[in-house]
Amino acid sequence: MANIELVELTKHYRQGRTVVRALDGVSLEIGAGEFVSVVGRSGSGKTTLLDLIGLLLRPTAGRVLIGGEDATRLRDNQRADLRGQRIGFIFQEYNLLPALNVLENVMLPLRYTRSKVNGRRRAQELLDEVGLGDRLKSRPGELSGGQQQRVAIARALINDPSVVLGDEPTGAVDTETSQELVGLMRWLNRERKVTFVIVTHDLDLAVQANRMIRLKDGRVLTDEPVEHAA
Amino acid sequence: MEILRNLARRKLRSSLTILGIVIGIFALTTMGAMAEHFNALLGGGVTYFGSSIQVGAPDGQAAILPISKIAEIEQVPGVVAAFPGYTFPAKPGDVTTVSFGIPDEIVAGDPAENNHGALKTTVAQGRQLTSTQRGEVVLGSSIANEFKKKVGDRIDLPVRPKDAQPGFVNHTFTVIGILNPTQTAPDSFAYINVADGQMLFKEVLPIAIRNSVDTSQVTEGITVYGQPGASLAELDAIANRINSQVAGVKATRPSELVNSFKAGGAIFTAITTAAAVLALVIGGLSVVNTMIMSVTERFREIGLKKAVGAHTGHLLREYLAEATLIGLLGGGIGYLLGVGLTNLLNLAGRASNFEIFLVTPTLTVIALGFAVALGALAGVIPAFRAAHLDPVIALRTTN
Repeated sequence: MANIELVELTKHYRQGRTVVRALDGVSLEIGAGEFVSVVGRSGSGKTTLLDLIGLLLRPTAGRVLIGGEDATRLRDNQRADLRGQRIGFIFQEYNLLPALNVLENVMLPLRYTRSKVNGRRRAQELLDEVGLGDRLKSRPGELSGGQQQRVAIARALINDPSVVLGDEPTGAVDTETSQELVGLMRWLNRERKVTFVIVTHDLDLAVQANRMIRLKDGRVLTDEPVEHAA
Repeated sequence: MEILRNLARRKLRSSLTILGIVIGIFALTTMGAMAEHFNALLGGGVTYFGSSIQVGAPDGQAAILPISKIAEIEQVPGVVAAFPGYTFPAKPGDVTTVSFGIPDEIVAGDPAENNHGALKTTVAQGRQLTSTQRGEVVLGSSIANEFKKKVGDRIDLPVRPKDAQPGFVNHTFTVIGILNPTQTAPDSFAYINVADGQMLFKEVLPIAIRNSVDTSQVTEGITVYGQPGASLAELDAIANRINSQVAGVKATRPSELVNSFKAGGAIFTAITTAAAVLALVIGGLSVVNTMIMSVTERFREIGLKKAVGAHTGHLLREYLAEATLIGLLGGGIGYLLGVGLTNLLNLAGRASNFEIFLVTPTLTVIALGFAVALGALAGVIPAFRAAHLDPVIALRTTN
C-alpha cells in the first residue's frame, strides 16, 4: 500500500472572474521510505501540491489518501489530528517559536497530539541526531539558520510521522549549509525510513532525491527516478 | 510560561496594556472601597432603623419628652420594649463642612437595649456598660483609635474645644470597653449609661430652664422595639398605633428611614458602577488592541501550530489564556495598589476619624473577577480570529 496516494487531485482558485488551475488532475503514489523532490517553475503547482498532501488545503476535486485513509472528507479537527500524527513539516523560514527554547520547539507538536509519552526523551534523542544535543535550552534567535532548520527537522519527526513535507527547506541557507541539511534529511530517510517529499527550486537538492516529479501548469510533466553516481 | 515569555518579548507594549488594566482596576478598587465604606455605614443605618422605631417630640417642638411616655408606649400592642436615649456631640464646636462619615457622638442608653436591636455591638476588649455604675464609657473602635484610648484609660467627655467658653463643663470617664468594628455608626460612638446621660443632658439645657428641669424625668427620644425579627410593615404598624394612641409624641415609620438610607446607597453603587465602566473602557480596549496586534504579528506561529495538529479550540484557549493573564496581572497589580493606597489614606485619616475606605472580600472578588473577565472578554475576538485563520495564508504571511 502506498504511503501517499493522490487521485485526480485538482485545485482551482478564483481570482476575480478568472479561474486559476493551480493543480489539474494529478494522480500519484508515493511509497513508504521514498525521498521525492517536486520541481517546477513558479506557479507550476508545487506548493499547492504540498499543501494538499499536508491537508492544509482542501482540493476542488480528487482525493488524498494518507496511509490508506481518505483525508478528503474529514472534518477540520480530524484533518488536524491526522496532520499531527502522520505528517511533519519543514518550512523555508524554519517557523520556530521565538518564545520557546530549542527543546520546547521540538516538543511543540506533542502539545496538540495524544502521544506525549516520553516526549522529552524523544525530543532530546532527535536533537542529538541532528547534532544539537548541547543546545536544548538555546532560543531560536541564538542559532544560525542551518541550526534552526535542524531544530525544525527534529520537530517534524517528533511524532514519528509517515511523511515529512519540506517547502524549500534549504531556501534560506547558504550552499554549504544546504548540503549539510540535505545530507541530514537523506540520512534520516535511510535510518528512520521516513518518507520525504521536498518542494524546491534548487536542482542541486532535487537531484539528490530518489525520485523527481516535475510539474508544469498544474500537471505532472515527468515523474522519474534519479540516477545517483555510485 | 510561554505566555509570559510572549508578553516579555514585547515589554513596552505589554507593560502599557497591563498599565491600562492597572489604572482601571485601581480606580475600581479605590472607588469601590469608598462605596463599600458608605454602603456599610448606610447598611448599619438600615439594620438599626429597620429593627426599631424612633419616637421623639412632635414636629416643631423641642426634643424633650417626659420619661413617663415610655410606660405609655409599652402599653401599645406589639411593643416589647422601649428605652430612653440621649445623644451629644463628642467634640462640640467641631466644624465639619463635608462629612464622609458619622461624627463622634456620646450616646447614652440602657445597656439592655443591645439585646433587642438587630445591630448588635460586641466588645473587643473589656466589658459592656452596666446601668448602675457611673462614670464609665465604652468606646467604638474608631473613636478609641482617634483618641488612642485602651481599657483602663480615662477620657474627658465632651472633648473640650480649643476656644471653650469659661462655663464649659465636661466629665472624666473611665474606658471599660472597646467595641469590635462594625463599619457603621457605633464605631464613632462613646456609650455611657442613662444616669450619666441625664447628667450631661442637664448641662446642655439652656441656663434659663436648666434648674427647673428634672432630667431624670425627661428624655431626648425613645427607641421602641417589637418582637425580634419583626418586619418593616409590622414595625410601621406599631409606629402608626403609637401615633394614634400616645399623645404628645411622634413615632417615625421605620420604612421611611430605611428608604432614605437605601436611596443614599444607590448613589454609591452608581459610583462603583461608573468606576467599573471606566475600567472596562480603558483596560478592555487596550487588551483588545494588544491581542489583535499580537495575533497579527504571530500569523506564522498560528499557521505552524495548525500545521502541527492544533485544533481551533487549542488556539482559542491559548489566546484567551494570554488575554486572561494580561487581565489577571493588571488586575492583581491594580488591586494591590488600590488596597495599598486606601490603607495608607485610612491610616492617615485615623487620627481625625476620617477612614473612608473599606476593602471587603466582595470588593476583592469583584475587582479581580472583573479584571479576569475583562481580559477574557477582550481576548475573545482576537482569539477567535487566530483560531480561524487559514493555515496556508498564515504560514506564508511575511511579518
